[in-house]
Amino acid sequence: MRFELLQPRSLTEALEMKRDYGEKARVLAGGTDLLVLLKDGKLKTDAVMSLRNLGELNFIREERQGVTLGALVSHNAVATSSVVRQKFPDLAEACAQVGATQIQNLGTVGGNLCNASPAADTAPPLLLMDALLTLASTRGERRIAIHDFFLGPRQTVLQADEILKEIVIPQTTGRRGATYLKLGRRQAMEIAIVGLGVAIHLNGSDRVVSECRVAMGSVAPTVVRARGAEAILRDREITSELVDEVAAVAAEAARPISDVRASAQYRLDMIRVLCRQATHAALARAREKKAEGLS
Amino acid sequence: MKIPVRLRVNGENYDIVIAPYRTLLDVLREELRLTGSKKGCDAGDCGACTVLLDGKPVNSCLVLAATVQDAEILTIEGLAQKGKLHPLQQAFISEGAVQCGFCTSGVLMSLKALVDHNPTPTPEEVKIAMAGNLCRCTGYSKVFKAVAAATRQP
Repeated sequence: MRFELLQPRSLTEALEMKRDYGEKARVLAGGTDLLVLLKDGKLKTDAVMSLRNLGELNFIREERQGVTLGALVSHNAVATSSVVRQKFPDLAEACAQVGATQIQNLGTVGGNLCNASPAADTAPPLLLMDALLTLASTRGERRIAIHDFFLGPRQTVLQADEILKEIVIPQTTGRRGATYLKLGRRQAMEIAIVGLGVAIHLNGSDRVVSECRVAMGSVAPTVVRARGAEAILRDREITSELVDEVAAVAAEAARPISDVRASAQYRLDMIRVLCRQATHAALARAREKKAEGLS
Repeated sequence: MKIPVRLRVNGENYDIVIAPYRTLLDVLREELRLTGSKKGCDAGDCGACTVLLDGKPVNSCLVLAATVQDAEILTIEGLAQKGKLHPLQQAFISEGAVQCGFCTSGVLMSLKALVDHNPTPTPEEVKIAMAGNLCRCTGYSKVFKAVAAATRQP
């Protein structure tokens, strides 16, 4: 592991460096993935650009139109944020299940997304929220939907001169209940066998679902939404038969592989189990929200 | 090319000249000769290298030393104050919570961070706090007993 170390003091300086170095410089956020790859020799790079000094990208900001996370906010900061825990418990749960405490203190949400692992824990909740990502370069900024960000394992639409700046979570409508469940062989220090999030939105009634969303990790080349499954519950009165149907259709949206952690068939079976559990849990959380508190 | 770096470790400043790609763990052990932090996996899995960075436990094998010049770093060597062991260290001795000892410094740093902001943790909170510290002797139960002894309400 040998490289030149770049340590910009501001985003402006970082973008200029990225413009000049392009693909020759890898961006270092928390380092919990990048340094492991570099040490293993699985990745080689001329330069590493540490963003540690960019305090301007380390924030959680609640605004009228939603919640914005700076790309450098740590998993620990998100997992313990009262705003995130109240509005987006699925994201807080995902961040609390990345590695263990030491990794959560180093690792960042932006790094988790840019690393583009199909098993990234923060991606399914952010997919449920239709999060928007602000990508910055010296050419300017562009904002894209998280659905368009991932191209494949470890591949994103980020250009050689771009840096992920922030993650914008739009304000939700109705009473939202959501959860993220992660299946591993133990409860910490795991890469998900399956990671699955469900969000349920209710309006007035406790029985009629206005919106259902399902997102899955570790079951396809990128994290995916199960849109066919989501449509089953929309504007329907919820029954446990319908929830079983959602779970079965969600599994059809997956294209899992067999690997060291699990077989493809096991993953499909577990999607059905997790999807049922998550749907019931998300529904219970949505019902806890008072009808008048529409945020 | 080596670069000058100033680190603040256990309340003392160290001025050294190092290659920019060296990890905090390697610099602590090989340049500062603070060998209490251990290298187990060197990949962020085992927790033997845990140190506190501005009060928070991190894997020092996943941190580049040159990037943390602004931080307060606490290692196991800084845990005892003025020759007096930290209550957790004392409890580890009285409860015999050490087997081979390789994981012990990392475990203590994780637990120190826990009790700093949660002086009376539940057993479940202790388990979560040290989920990133592996003990290959599997000597966890005496560690849990030691934490209970050190944090028991009088």
